[in-house]
Amino acid sequence: MKGRMDSRLDRIEAAFRDAGVTGYLHAVDVDSGREIGLRADEPVVLASVFKVPLLVAFFRHAAAGRLDPAQQVTLRPEDRCAGPTGVSTLLDEVRMSLRDLACLMITVSDNAAADAVFAAVGPEAVDATVAELGLHATRVVGSGSDLHAMMLADGGVDDLGELWARLGEPGVLQRLRALDPLSTSRSTPREMARLMAKIWRDEAAPPAECAQMRRIFGLQVWPHRLSSGFPYDDVRVSGKTGTLPTIRNEIGVVEYPDGGRYAVAVFTRSLLPTAVLPQADAVIGTSARLAVEALRRPLPGRPQARG
Amino acid sequence: MNLVGHLQCFVAVAEELHFGRAADRLGMAQPPLSQRIKRLERELGVRLFERSSRRVELTAPGRLLLEEAREILARVDRIHSLAERARRGELGALRAGVPADLTGAVVAALIAEFRARCPEVRLELREIGTSEQVRALAEGALDVGVLRHPCEVRDLGLGSMLGQPVGVLVPSGDPLAAAPEVHLADLAGRDLALFARDEAPGPYDELLAACRRHGYDPAAVHEARQPQFAVGLVLAGSAVALTPRTPDTPGVTWLPLVGEPLLLRVSCAWRRDTGHEHAVAEFTAAATGVLCEQAGMSPLPSAPPRRVVPRPASGFLA
Repeated sequence: MKGRMDSRLDRIEAAFRDAGVTGYLHAVDVDSGREIGLRADEPVVLASVFKVPLLVAFFRHAAAGRLDPAQQVTLRPEDRCAGPTGVSTLLDEVRMSLRDLACLMITVSDNAAADAVFAAVGPEAVDATVAELGLHATRVVGSGSDLHAMMLADGGVDDLGELWARLGEPGVLQRLRALDPLSTSRSTPREMARLMAKIWRDEAAPPAECAQMRRIFGLQVWPHRLSSGFPYDDVRVSGKTGTLPTIRNEIGVVEYPDGGRYAVAVFTRSLLPTAVLPQADAVIGTSARLAVEALRRPLPGRPQARG
Repeated sequence: MNLVGHLQCFVAVAEELHFGRAADRLGMAQPPLSQRIKRLERELGVRLFERSSRRVELTAPGRLLLEEAREILARVDRIHSLAERARRGELGALRAGVPADLTGAVVAALIAEFRARCPEVRLELREIGTSEQVRALAEGALDVGVLRHPCEVRDLGLGSMLGQPVGVLVPSGDPLAAAPEVHLADLAGRDLALFARDEAPGPYDELLAACRRHGYDPAAVHEARQPQFAVGLVLAGSAVALTPRTPDTPGVTWLPLVGEPLLLRVSCAWRRDTGHEHAVAEFTAAATGVLCEQAGMSPLPSAPPRRVVPRPASGFLA
């Protein structure tokens, strides 16, 4: 058994190598706890995956009556965090409920929506949630706007376009604290997979709130990472990506029609500072599939009905 | 008290923020670990951690002392590794790595130049690919290296970035050999011989992506660990080789590419804490000079600005 898992890890490692990334992975069977991991306890940069602990804190607050998820919030264009999707890209004032903002922050990784949710929940509540769930290696350090400001300051640039243009200059990537797990929002693959498993087991918040979170993760639009590893019409893939220069992540849950469900967290760092690197996106799906297949193999001497 | 041992315990708990995991990491049981932390707190007269049933957190003094403690432990490690090297008679040696494809003349010139600058330091030169150099630098098995970029350079010091245009090696009888230079697209249909990917995956991927971009998508890539293997494949008519200018070899012709679409980037890189700062600086100056004068490299004044058209899926915090 051990030998089989080891050879599976070798294949996962080879997939990461072929894609030109360093990969960190943990996958766990949501119901049995059976697991597989590669550098699963090393600190990793969360990037937009920080929106997951934020979402959990939001729904725990909502369940406890400390905020009203249907409360309307007005977002003015000049106050909004930059970003490539959602409310961040709009031109005019937007009025929306907190829970709809939470939906956008996950489904399209909307930074303006995430900052509004962060402001409503507060950093202390996110810290408390992370601590209460036993995620000791996880820290959420600041909002999207904070991270944006830090990247511009570290890069010595006026906007992210300029940062991308100068990313090939020696030393620029090294200076960015946003890419250093010890200086920014961080976790480990094991803890992020555990968090997703808790959401799927109704343990991260009351069942009704967990169900709302699962709905939102299932509506995430991106097809290029975790989802690309499971080209099966009857398999549901729910997740949340995270992206910064050289950083490509996704954590999620893969659900098979036989009831098997697996929480997976994959974090990668690419050698090339290229913005568009399809193989680095796809290997998140490939490595997740290799891991999930290993978890779906029957244990020796214990035949299983799943097929 | 054994301060170093106690500081190791402190750092482990501070990094894990969990007594059980820290004890696992240290290979000890939890009760003696808790006792050691308490004893250290008594010795220093400050509380290092706030402990509750749910979590362990660093106090403000704890955070302050953590950095100092790490520094002390790093220095202790260095004392051990220096002692170990002294035992093995390695002190006074600079361990340097260079890529496999430098010519004999370049290697000899590099050694001579280093000897002239730093006669008191023995140079231990190893032929070693970029990936392995990065690993060896991180593990402390190498003091300084000559790396091909892009590669993982976090925590390393970097020397001047040098560029080396890549051209193509074709059989002298090939119709292409008659032209003064070649378009990459003209290579279409020919197999490619190239350095091995595992030696430097970043530059390999970057170079192949640039080839495809410019109309050359080789059906097969033959990886050559030794430049002579690539020359052999070219001589036999099995492939063309993409390589920096090589010494003239009968039967093959090296041609520049139109517009210099491919550039290999090289720099020295070093660990910051080797205790060999002077020797590392001299090696870097020697290598940079020799690579420019004898290996056809030239300093890149600054990286050319990249043009990056934003796409939502790869945008900020997507």
